[in-house]
Amino acid sequence: MADLEIRNLHVRTEDREILRGVDLAVNKGEIHALMGPNGSGKSTLANTILGHPAYEITEGEILFRGQPLTEADPEDRAQAGLFLAFQYPAAIPGVSVANFLRMAMNTKREEPIGVKEFGAKLRHATDLLHVDREFTSRHLNDGFSGGEKKRCEILQMAMLEPEVAVLDETDSGLDIDALRTVAEGVNKLHDETGMGALVITHYQRILHYVTPDFVHVMLDGRIVREGGPELVEQLERQGYDWLREELEVLTGAPEEDDV
Amino acid sequence: MSEARSTKPGAARQATLYRALDGAGAGDGVRTVEELRAAALAAYEHLDLPSWRRSGFWTTSLRDLDVESLQPHHVEADGQVPAVVAEALKGDEPAGLLVQRDATVVHVWLDPELAERGVVLCSLEDAVRDHPELVAEYFMRRLTYDRHKLEAAAGAFWTGGAFLYVPPGLVVERPFQLAYVIDEPGTAQYAHTLAIGGESSDFRLREYDLAGGFEGPALHAGGFELYLEANARCRLAHFQDWGGEGQEVHDVSTHVVRVARDGHCQWIPIHLGGRLTRQHLELSTAEPGADMRHRGIYFTEAEEHLDLFTVDLHEVGPTTGDTVWKGAATGHSRASYEGLIKIRAGAQESHTYLQTHSMMLSPRAKVDAIPSLIVETDSVSASHGGTVGEVDETQVFYMRSRGLSRQDAVRVIVEGYFEPIVVQLGDERLEGLVRERIAAKLARADEDIEAYAAAR
Ligand SMILES: Nc1ncnc2c1ncn2[C@@H]1O[C@H](COP(=O)(O)OP(=O)(O)OP(=O)(O)O)[C@@H](O)[C@H]1O
Ligand SMILES: [Mg+2]
Repeated sequence: MADLEIRNLHVRTEDREILRGVDLAVNKGEIHALMGPNGSGKSTLANTILGHPAYEITEGEILFRGQPLTEADPEDRAQAGLFLAFQYPAAIPGVSVANFLRMAMNTKREEPIGVKEFGAKLRHATDLLHVDREFTSRHLNDGFSGGEKKRCEILQMAMLEPEVAVLDETDSGLDIDALRTVAEGVNKLHDETGMGALVITHYQRILHYVTPDFVHVMLDGRIVREGGPELVEQLERQGYDWLREELEVLTGAPEEDDV
Repeated sequence: MSEARSTKPGAARQATLYRALDGAGAGDGVRTVEELRAAALAAYEHLDLPSWRRSGFWTTSLRDLDVESLQPHHVEADGQVPAVVAEALKGDEPAGLLVQRDATVVHVWLDPELAERGVVLCSLEDAVRDHPELVAEYFMRRLTYDRHKLEAAAGAFWTGGAFLYVPPGLVVERPFQLAYVIDEPGTAQYAHTLAIGGESSDFRLREYDLAGGFEGPALHAGGFELYLEANARCRLAHFQDWGGEGQEVHDVSTHVVRVARDGHCQWIPIHLGGRLTRQHLELSTAEPGADMRHRGIYFTEAEEHLDLFTVDLHEVGPTTGDTVWKGAATGHSRASYEGLIKIRAGAQESHTYLQTHSMMLSPRAKVDAIPSLIVETDSVSASHGGTVGEVDETQVFYMRSRGLSRQDAVRVIVEGYFEPIVVQLGDERLEGLVRERIAAKLARADEDIEAYAAAR
């Protein structure tokens, strides 16, 4: 059984069904890429994995190391070793990056982390992400630029050392240097801790730096194609229309939204 | 956030419930303290207990208060600092400390060096005897006694009281601290603080309202008046916490500050609880160049009822002001904040703005935030805005996805919401005290906050 296993997942919001039967398995040590056009349901999947209350699971399940997570609170999922780097991270004006990290790390421990150990880890992570220490005394994401927010997500990932991380478009809006930094961060965690990752992206760019073992394509709330890195190139060249057309041929008709 | 902007005369959104004192005061320099007492007593006889109602929705009523059964309770003036005060001030090194327990001033201490340089800190009763000329000049210059029965009661029956005089030119870094403590049920504490900052003086003043652990009803009614003469500066804070189960403190008070030419006042009231609080806070920039910065916090819980009316009064121009209030409510509590900017005719070139925010943390709490504006002249800028909000679930989810519990996430959000005001107290001990009390209130409201999230 895979570390993170998603089976026949159906998810809806108040007004409609968004995910319509998603199957996906991510193991520690594996890197998966998830691609798909705008609105296909990628972020919905990411948020549902972490237990966002706006999304209701109507069918299927999410298992983490064999344990069903479907009913678990987000904090329990985080403590079990899941992590989400948000596409749009929230700003929390009440707390500094460092203090927030200390709180978050302590939720996984019996004894609060010592000052020295925390300091050393933080130094390590700030070096990795090429941010100065002053960055961690700023209020969490408050007034951060787009790029700073993304770095901050990866900084948190580096500190929290998840088993499996979902990165929702962490590459979007980054200049090439920032992109490389973020990618290095992901690789390093992958290499050092054996972290598994589900990298949601629209672009081939990041996949030059973070090499996926598997690529999945989502369309209208389903994973419709799976393959290796070669699939990324094909998508970048041809877009998603050919996939859509192929599907229509397969199912016989353009899909109606079964609202 | 709604925002209104006006530079036109007559542009007004009338306060819906309350009216500014607008310079009114009983003290005229002619009537003696005893004559004012007698006049207040006469008013007391015929006035009713107050009830304030705003268009069906909001009512603050003291009609049911059994005022006759609440009496000034005199205690022995033993020089002791009550435990509740010692705990709140722990570790502080003040410039002076005066404590009134129930009806009696029980402790006065003033740094002897400051006494030598002309500072006066004593009970108001003593000041009437020992500093009659200062008292005659300032006493009740901006306070009235005849708007309702409890104001009249305070005017007629005040005992003890605090008097602070900082002479011209003196700069004092450490704060002067005044504390009013109620620790007996059935107590009526008729309080009165008179503080004067002489020309170009610069000092800090803190007033603490604390309940010392008792069960039953009590009343704190009174006045606070601070006069800052030309170019004087004061950082003023009120810390009110009458809270605690069974301590049924009713607080009906009026606090006024008058800032003279080129003077400056930063005023930060912190309201952390009481069975029923109805306060009128009026800050007047009364002469050209006067400037004020008004910041406030309230946080109600359980069955508490809080009704605040603040006035930013510009009597002449050019004067400047800036008001920001933030509140939160849990439990069944009710909180109303009405903030008025009043710019008088003739106060051209005045600039001011007022913001009020409130956060509802319980489905059964009620908050009301009403900014209003009366502008009687042109060439001014005045703007106001208000928000009433709830905890942002996006923020909560973000923190939970990192492992924090909902309670911790909410605590971070609420503390962060108040923090920009708390840090402006500029006093580590007091800031710590406020943070501590806010955290305790949140801890008590855990279930409530949970229920609210579930209900949405
Ligand atoms: N909380 C929500 N309430 C209502 N509709 C939602 C909600 N979240 C997502 N949706 C809708 O579900 C669909 C999928 O959205 P989602 O954000 O998962 O797409 P995405 O694949 O991440 O797109 P993008 O590439 O633009 O980030 C969209 O039509 C979106 O409007
Ligand atoms: Mg998305």
